[in-house]
Amino acid sequence: MTMLGEHPVIDAMPALFTVADPRLLATRTPDVPPRDREWLVEAAQRVRLLGRGGAAFPVATKLAAVGKGARVVVNGSEGEPASWKDRVLMRQHPDLVVAGAALVGRALRSPQIVIAVNDATSAAALRAAVRRCGDERIEVRHVEHRFVGGEISALINGLNRRTPVPDGVRVLPHERGLGGRPTYASNVETFAHLALLAALGPERYATTGSAGEPGTSLVTLHGTERGAAVLEVPHGIDLSRLVGEHRGPILIGGYHGAWTARTDLVVERPALRAAGIGWGAGVVAVLPERTCPVGEIARVAQWLADQSARQCGPCTFGLPTIAADLQRIVAGGHADRGELSRRIGQVTGRGACHHPTGATGFIASGLTAFDADVRAHLAGRPCGRTTHGVLPLGGGR
Amino acid sequence: MSRLAIDWTRCDGHGLCARLLPEAISLDDWGFPIVGEIGDLDRAVVGTAVASCPRLALRVEK
Ligand code: SF4
Ligand code: SF4
Repeated sequence: MTMLGEHPVIDAMPALFTVADPRLLATRTPDVPPRDREWLVEAAQRVRLLGRGGAAFPVATKLAAVGKGARVVVNGSEGEPASWKDRVLMRQHPDLVVAGAALVGRALRSPQIVIAVNDATSAAALRAAVRRCGDERIEVRHVEHRFVGGEISALINGLNRRTPVPDGVRVLPHERGLGGRPTYASNVETFAHLALLAALGPERYATTGSAGEPGTSLVTLHGTERGAAVLEVPHGIDLSRLVGEHRGPILIGGYHGAWTARTDLVVERPALRAAGIGWGAGVVAVLPERTCPVGEIARVAQWLADQSARQCGPCTFGLPTIAADLQRIVAGGHADRGELSRRIGQVTGRGACHHPTGATGFIASGLTAFDADVRAHLAGRPCGRTTHGVLPLGGGR
Repeated sequence: MSRLAIDWTRCDGHGLCARLLPEAISLDDWGFPIVGEIGDLDRAVVGTAVASCPRLALRVEK
């Protein structure tokens, strides 16, 4: 299970940017008219709305899977340590998030709507927005634990006052969620998009973005000269526009994502998926010249290994072994790369949640993308650069 | 095709299953079972392995 421990509170939000016209980050929250479930399903289908938590599941399918009376869970716990976009949205535009929650709650005639967050600042902003909105069914709940990849069964278990770990046998929230009842659960950004969709209608919603994925997405960017930043971008733009002058591998999809050397990619989930790349929660990172890439990857690998709360064997024992191998490579010590690949293969796909698979995907793709650096280290010629920790490990909330 | 599946939150890696069903189960570096397709293995033997798991972690999936 992936659980983050306590961190010192350094609560500086990254800078915000928008590429083209802002939607989610627009200054004014639009009026969101009530829409029924059929309208929402149909509209979400037309604009091909995909969930924003990481799995990019079609929103229309998920909404259609729950009947009237289903509970609603708005996941604002932002488990991905490098991601900031959800907190930016909740703090800067809490009314849009709450409008989305109320919209879905009304469409489903939900008796209960819970917005789960992991930081006090977002909780306060959302509570004030709930008071303005006046929908008394909406409850903002501060949850103690976050999960890489936003493992939903763990969050639901926590909300049901059980140990917040992923279930051994997968049960989806639309079958058994809050209080054991059918539940529509999605990421905060998804709800904000549903609010926009209800306000604009599918045609106007689709005036920005690409044909494959209309609309915009929030992105958290690390490692460029901007420092950490959150951007709202229309789908279809070149990924290279986000990283500016930078040349070198790009991390897409955060610490359960993958490094790629490709320069021809666009920001669009279906197109990226066709290229075998998951957009995850929208974290994009590059590494500046001054830092050791092998060290950066090893540091995140160690952190990923530390997140396992010892539920599943291969994840519990395998990830630390892999992280230790990487540490040896960083130090220019002896490590058998074939052995390392074999171990990576033995952890992939073997756990109750996606964590081991996501983690090994990050590590394996990083070793490939920075192959020349890895070889130099293995040949006993480490680059001599310091590991600056450009890739953040949680930090303050 | 049926395959074996493991509830990883239950399995404690004692490896009994691999001893009972070496044709379909091997162990990884840490002693945890690597499972796959059952193929045309005798269902009774597979059933015995499943039933013998002390942690009830092993199951057959369609
Ligand atoms: S796979 Fe790892 S992170 Fe996921 S539940 Fe099992 S031990 Fe926890
Ligand atoms: S017998 Fe059961 S507990 Fe033991 S290794 Fe096999 S699956 Fe795991």
